[in-house]
Amino acid sequence: MKIEISNLQFSYPDGVQALRGISLIIETGEQVAIIGQNGAGKTTLVKHLNGLLQPTSGSVHIGEWDTRKHSVAKLARRVGYVFQNPDDQLFSKNVGTEVAFGPKNLGFNGDQVQALVKDALALTELSDKTETNPYDLSPTWRKMVALASIISMDTDIVIFDEPTTGQDAANIARIANVIKALRERGKTVITITHDIDFCAENFERVIAMAQGQILLDGRANDVLGQEEILATTYVDPPQLTRLGKRLGFKETVRNEEEFLAALRG
Amino acid sequence: MNDRLSFYRKKNSPIHTLNPFTKLTLTLALIVIGIVGGGYWTASLAVCLAIAPLTIFSKLFGDYLRVAFRLILPTAGFMFVMQSIFIPGGVTELFRIGPFSIEVETVQRSYLIASRIFLMVSAFAFLLLTTHPSELMTDLTRRGLPPQFSYVLISTLQIIPQMQAKAQTIISAQRSRGLDTESSFMKRIGLLVPLVGPLVFGSLVEVEERAIAIEARGFTSTRVKTFLHDIPDTHMDKIIRWALLALIIVALASKIWLS
Repeated sequence: MKIEISNLQFSYPDGVQALRGISLIIETGEQVAIIGQNGAGKTTLVKHLNGLLQPTSGSVHIGEWDTRKHSVAKLARRVGYVFQNPDDQLFSKNVGTEVAFGPKNLGFNGDQVQALVKDALALTELSDKTETNPYDLSPTWRKMVALASIISMDTDIVIFDEPTTGQDAANIARIANVIKALRERGKTVITITHDIDFCAENFERVIAMAQGQILLDGRANDVLGQEEILATTYVDPPQLTRLGKRLGFKETVRNEEEFLAALRG
Repeated sequence: MNDRLSFYRKKNSPIHTLNPFTKLTLTLALIVIGIVGGGYWTASLAVCLAIAPLTIFSKLFGDYLRVAFRLILPTAGFMFVMQSIFIPGGVTELFRIGPFSIEVETVQRSYLIASRIFLMVSAFAFLLLTTHPSELMTDLTRRGLPPQFSYVLISTLQIIPQMQAKAQTIISAQRSRGLDTESSFMKRIGLLVPLVGPLVFGSLVEVEERAIAIEARGFTSTRVKTFLHDIPDTHMDKIIRWALLALIIVALASKIWLS
């Protein structure tokens, strides 16, 4: 499902201009990370993708759907959005019904819902916790429940808002696995993140934003190599990238494999 | 958002610089004098000759009028009409509406009650328009009000906007999961659980965290506490307060001995 954003501008009711003309095309199955300082407009931008916010001017198309012409509930068939704080959405008495809530809303039949829930729980390693109350789980596992409850909706596009914040290494690895599995299924994944290592290791395309505009957009290696431009939006390239630069590598490296390959020359 | 919740309007006026306790005393004095000060028109006069000029003096006359017309007048007016119709005991009939007879005496009594309510609410509106609630509470706490009491009041004022914001986020999160919030009324009732659930759970967690956070800063410590903001209390404030106290005593005394 192609995402097409053209000259998107958005101002909040209090007059703050959060997006100043964004044009962007994201093709089916792309894995995109959005980075940039707080207040750069990252969340405002992705909230336009499922209609939570409507453009002040310009337009957003999800496939052939114009987001201005469809309700959030309808757009939820195409765009799943995992909010930053799982506690803002969990309400069911057990994990299973929580994860089934989304697909039920979308109108899948009983068998389909069961299959989707089972699959989402397996993907998030929650299969043994189906009967547990989400609030009896640790915050890291609650995050996985939130992920599962969106994945079970089987949308073509999945958005994660800062999935790794406050997560331990084991859970970050689990989230990376989920993203990898979604890529293999041909889903489009868009992730807002401040975790630059997570960004470097899991995404092929990186968009850097600052002050409501796109600063850089391209292959992860090209974007993460632009140390000076990234500094203007308070982003440090990954440590290995900076180290590679100081060692005088010709290519920009962003993970261990690339670093070692460059080192061995 | 926070400021919209309290009535307080920041202005540069002599009234705003008065000590909050002085303004509280002034408010109470206006109410006591207006009500016990004999005279059928005392309460009405207190509104026109004291509160209205005071709000002009505070550069808040427009805000006061807005509160008066939107909130106080409808309430007091409603009571006036209802009591005029339903309080029994009048003699001189003015006119009839269906089975109800409206008498001069009840209309007079209703006006007296309504005008006193108008005065009371106006006096507090004046206080709240010119005094920030947290400033008033800090000052009262310094004068010996239990801090638990002021904490409850202030935290309520702070929590409500936070809960509004949280509720908005929860609604967005559930709509993103295909929850249709724009459906029929009966359907919407069923939607309450996914919306209220996270709000209640989240608030309970927050209350606990808040309690731990303030306790970590020595909330229940019995040592004498200092205050971050110094709230000025001038000689002028003290003179005004004593004068107001004298007026209250005179009003009460005249009520007791002269009637």
